[in-house]
Amino acid sequence: MATELFRRGLRDHRRALLGWCVGIAGYIALVASIFPSIESSPELNELIESYPDVLKSLFGIAEGGDLTSGAGYLDVELFSFMLPLLILVLAIGSGARTFAGEEDAGRLELVLAYPIQRRTAVLAKGAALGAEVLAACLVGMATLLVLEPVVGLELSTANVVSAFLGVGALAIFYGWLALAIGATYPSRGLAIGLAAATAAADYLVAGLHELAGWLDPFRFLSPFWLIGSSPLQAGSDLSGVAIVLGAAIVVLILGATLVERRDLESP
Amino acid sequence: MSTAPPIETVGLSKTYGRSTEALVDLDLVVRAGEVFGYLGPNGAGKSTTIRLLVGLIHPSAGRAALLGHDIRRDGVMSRRDVGYLPGDLRLADRLTGRQQLDSLARLRGGVDEALRDSLCARLDVDLERPIRQLSKGNRQKIGLVQAFMHRPQLVILDEPTGGLDPLLQAEVRSLLRETAEDGRTAFVSSHSLDEVQHVADRVGIIRSGRLIDVDAVETLRDRSLRHVTVTFADAADPAMLAAIPDVDVVEVTGRVVRLTCPETRMDAVVRRAAERPISDFVSQPADLEEIFLAMYREGAGGD
Repeated sequence: MATELFRRGLRDHRRALLGWCVGIAGYIALVASIFPSIESSPELNELIESYPDVLKSLFGIAEGGDLTSGAGYLDVELFSFMLPLLILVLAIGSGARTFAGEEDAGRLELVLAYPIQRRTAVLAKGAALGAEVLAACLVGMATLLVLEPVVGLELSTANVVSAFLGVGALAIFYGWLALAIGATYPSRGLAIGLAAATAAADYLVAGLHELAGWLDPFRFLSPFWLIGSSPLQAGSDLSGVAIVLGAAIVVLILGATLVERRDLESP
Repeated sequence: MSTAPPIETVGLSKTYGRSTEALVDLDLVVRAGEVFGYLGPNGAGKSTTIRLLVGLIHPSAGRAALLGHDIRRDGVMSRRDVGYLPGDLRLADRLTGRQQLDSLARLRGGVDEALRDSLCARLDVDLERPIRQLSKGNRQKIGLVQAFMHRPQLVILDEPTGGLDPLLQAEVRSLLRETAEDGRTAFVSSHSLDEVQHVADRVGIIRSGRLIDVDAVETLRDRSLRHVTVTFADAADPAMLAAIPDVDVVEVTGRVVRLTCPETRMDAVVRRAAERPISDFVSQPADLEEIFLAMYREGAGGD
């Protein structure tokens, strides 16, 4: 019954998911393979040290962080921007497509006339999205752990797991946000746009709150700030990860509640 | 099984925005074991009614129950024993017909597989090709199979024969008749009186969101208008046809006479025309709007 919607959610996105996993693994491999030439350039640290504070805080370069260590390098090159971006795009796209996109295409007309509650459908599709994010994170984590000894990154396995936990929590939050927006208002474009804009704003708040003082009180609202920066050096903030996942659940339940109230668009 | 009517609506209404009245105050009881034709021109509110019944949109006022279960309070139960075919069917393009039907069967929690297979054979469904490669008619067949495959107490079909060839239209009609003979119920919308009158027991007519009439189909047939084109072998004599009551000669060009008459006068028209040698005789159903206009001219009311 509802498990079929979970299955279908995964099946319908399997090609896209496969593409994303290959891309994420490839990007991680590329970044990791450059590390040996960075490691042998200690002058890089001095260069970075001379960057303006705005740039450093925007890209999550921690005070005293060491770019020539594997963890410090990957925190900046991977976890401060590019990897969250990739997984977030995957999650937001999938969240917007799975309900609003299907509705736009007229395909919910038949499914939701079956003896299924709409909120159950939203939750099942949310679970499928969670499984997609999990798969992408596991592929990324496996790639990093396989390359770690090869390239000599000297990472703490616990921190690698914790770092992907943080990125995964972010992706689930924004993916479910896109799904919930699409469940509340029938537009795939709006779901993508609002969720992506929220993510971009949250990213800026987390990066710049120290420099722009008026942003400081809002940092608690930013999931990026909550999970913490430099996860490979310091580990993600696990209580922050828990808060982000909790907020994600609240958002999904809200979407599952609001979807019951509205009319389904005719195809 | 309860004795509640398969479909019951009380004051069911749907208003979009402030003033677009898609459905106004619908009171309707569909009886168990009948095929109910829901007839109206495009945009009359047929799909609105059906989408309200299966819970895709919510009423602005009034209530409705399917098989005794209120559609709002008890939505899932009300749809449990119902088969539905949307007016504009969209299936998962990448799946094959078989995968689509399997998926829908699991979504329902199991179906009568022997029945599904026999339906597929009967309608000659192409199960192996991806749905995006199928013609509209072949997709429609998959839609019909999924509506019937769990032997529901009530099937609700929105314009079911669109895109089907005449042979399959006949097959759908016999499916509907069998459903009714089985004591189950079918609710079928259509914009064509001809399509409905050969299968329905009763017909409800809806226009501009208002149910204007519910009749036994025989009553309706009296109102059914035909367009007749008679081509005489020699010179035409329109006067002898115009003399038949209720016959309206519309146009005479050379040997060709065009006229409009109720189906009940058809016998007289054929006999009178055949008094002269004729080379062709074509009779076509008038569309619903014309029948409405004729009804209003009779003094049935109107706006």
